[in-house]
Amino acid sequence: MTILETSGGKRGRAAIGREVLVKWAPLLVLLVLCGIFALMEPRFLSTRNFARILIAASPALMVAIGVTFVIIMGSIDLSMEGTVSVCAVAFALCFLWFGGTLASWAWLALPITLLVGAALGFINGLIHVKLKIPSFMASLAMGFVGTGLAMVTTGGDRIRIEDELFRSLLTERILNFPLMVYVAGIFLLIAWFIQTRTTLGRNFYAVGGGEDLAVASGLNVNRVRVMGFALAGMFFSVGALLAVGRIGIAETATGNNFMFLSITAVVVGGTALWGGIGGVWNTLVGVLIVFVIGNGMVVIGLPGYVQDGVLGILVILAVILSTDRKSISFVK
Amino acid sequence: MSLEKLKPYFPWLTLGVLLLLVGAVNPSFLNPASLLQLVADIVPLFIMAVGMTFAIYIGGIDLSVQQVANLVTVIATVYLAQFGVFVTVICIAVGFAIGAVSGWVTTRQFVPSFVATLAMGFIALSGARFLSGERALSMNAEARDASFGWMFGNTGGVPHELIIAALLLALAWFLQTRTTFGRALKSVGAGELAAVASGLNVHRIKILAFALSGAFAAIAGLMFSVKLSGGDANLANGFLILAIVAVLVGGTPLTGGVGGVINTLVGTLIVVVIRSAMVYLEIDATMQQMIFGLILILAIATTIDRSKMRIVK
Repeated sequence: MTILETSGGKRGRAAIGREVLVKWAPLLVLLVLCGIFALMEPRFLSTRNFARILIAASPALMVAIGVTFVIIMGSIDLSMEGTVSVCAVAFALCFLWFGGTLASWAWLALPITLLVGAALGFINGLIHVKLKIPSFMASLAMGFVGTGLAMVTTGGDRIRIEDELFRSLLTERILNFPLMVYVAGIFLLIAWFIQTRTTLGRNFYAVGGGEDLAVASGLNVNRVRVMGFALAGMFFSVGALLAVGRIGIAETATGNNFMFLSITAVVVGGTALWGGIGGVWNTLVGVLIVFVIGNGMVVIGLPGYVQDGVLGILVILAVILSTDRKSISFVK
Repeated sequence: MSLEKLKPYFPWLTLGVLLLLVGAVNPSFLNPASLLQLVADIVPLFIMAVGMTFAIYIGGIDLSVQQVANLVTVIATVYLAQFGVFVTVICIAVGFAIGAVSGWVTTRQFVPSFVATLAMGFIALSGARFLSGERALSMNAEARDASFGWMFGNTGGVPHELIIAALLLALAWFLQTRTTFGRALKSVGAGELAAVASGLNVHRIKILAFALSGAFAAIAGLMFSVKLSGGDANLANGFLILAIVAVLVGGTPLTGGVGGVINTLVGTLIVVVIRSAMVYLEIDATMQQMIFGLILILAIATTIDRSKMRIVK
């Protein structure tokens, strides 16, 4: 899954027009999708429905943002299902052990969960860099380890979190949207800050844009990689927290389905799998596209068996529309 | 012999060491009859992994194989009574077509194979759910025995399933090493731009690679369906990750151009030995997934040949 770029944008004005178009294409796709669904079923546009979409999308957005950093570096992280499960279970156990309500010392479970996520990502990165195993395999195997770890810890049981203060993530609403949507928004801004305003963020692009160059300019690429995976792990843990907040249950299955969902969302948003292009706003749009498609198909009442296929077709179309075909020579 | 020369044999060494280790702890594991049965049981997974090898060999990936197999189990079950043994042709054609479309979307439309094949998998799943009416179907027992009963026999102690697997492996190996198509695959995997520059029709080669992957997945689905005597849109779930792992552990890295179908044979065996060894060694069911992951990291770390990978991504 690497790609070679030929020098794009040599055609002067025409190229600039195309660049702008490609940059905004994912957003256009999102708006067109919303428009189509709204035309077919006006209830799609209701605030309640948007809240529903955002609630469902918040955990996935956090996971997708985490993997965005890794993909910008040209690597891939497939450990999210395991990491989310471990973080969810670790959070639930700590939370209950410390007293079971945010009003007590149990709030400590929140930072601990973030640390657990970051630690898992850190180990993941170390395995990838130190053992020189391609990230695809290293993270996939780490995902198994994570799912297994969650399974061993819980013994397959579900852990309920019934603290009202913690569940207010879902139950407490500001302007019709629950708190978890705002939490996701805050972390989105943090991710954007890391991406644009920190050395680490710029280094991700340096590594993804051309590793040889990055090495030649004296960048410690291995360090950047490990940091990237640790950061991704931290965002996975935020996703785990929101997922637990949404359903009030932590279990091994909490992490299910995040892997393909988040990577599809990242690609649909216009972040290239070969690295160096895209960012967290692309991922936001990508996640929204995927969830709007899913929600829209239910709202307009498509039969269940058609939905998977339509999702497949729309995802392919979305990627085709948001790819700058003139600037790439081939894609794997 | 130097370390460099030994490298291609690392997967075999890993497999041998694993077998000896498990055998040392529990000698009954090495009983030839049970080993043969063990191998016969994983034939569908192996065939799927062989197909996947083509996609990974050119540097892509095929995530649709599991859903193609699902779709084929349904098609086979629904149309067996009508077409008898010729249902095989329909199944393989469907798999080939889905793979070819994936390949076309990837090469002509510049959609990364990760997403293109995943999306094609969803479309296949839709087809399977529609055709099966969202129910688990079972085959007409008579029709099954008449058309595919021979699959369960054995010649000279060798199960026929194994013979099918061996024939398919031989076919894939022949394609990979003895045809221009195979050479072309290698050159595309090793350096696509160079392949284009040498005048190869890279698009056709890549589309064919994905189509082969789909066709092999269809054969795997058909065998699975016949084995379980039924079809269901979720029957083959869980195969995808194992098939990918089998290819990777065998030493065909995702960067392409290295490895091949023989590697996948070793990789599948390694995966199966690890999985069944855990049952033999009576490891707690909740621990198995974690240990599988850890051994996997070890196996990959010792197996893959890094000499042809310049940058490890």
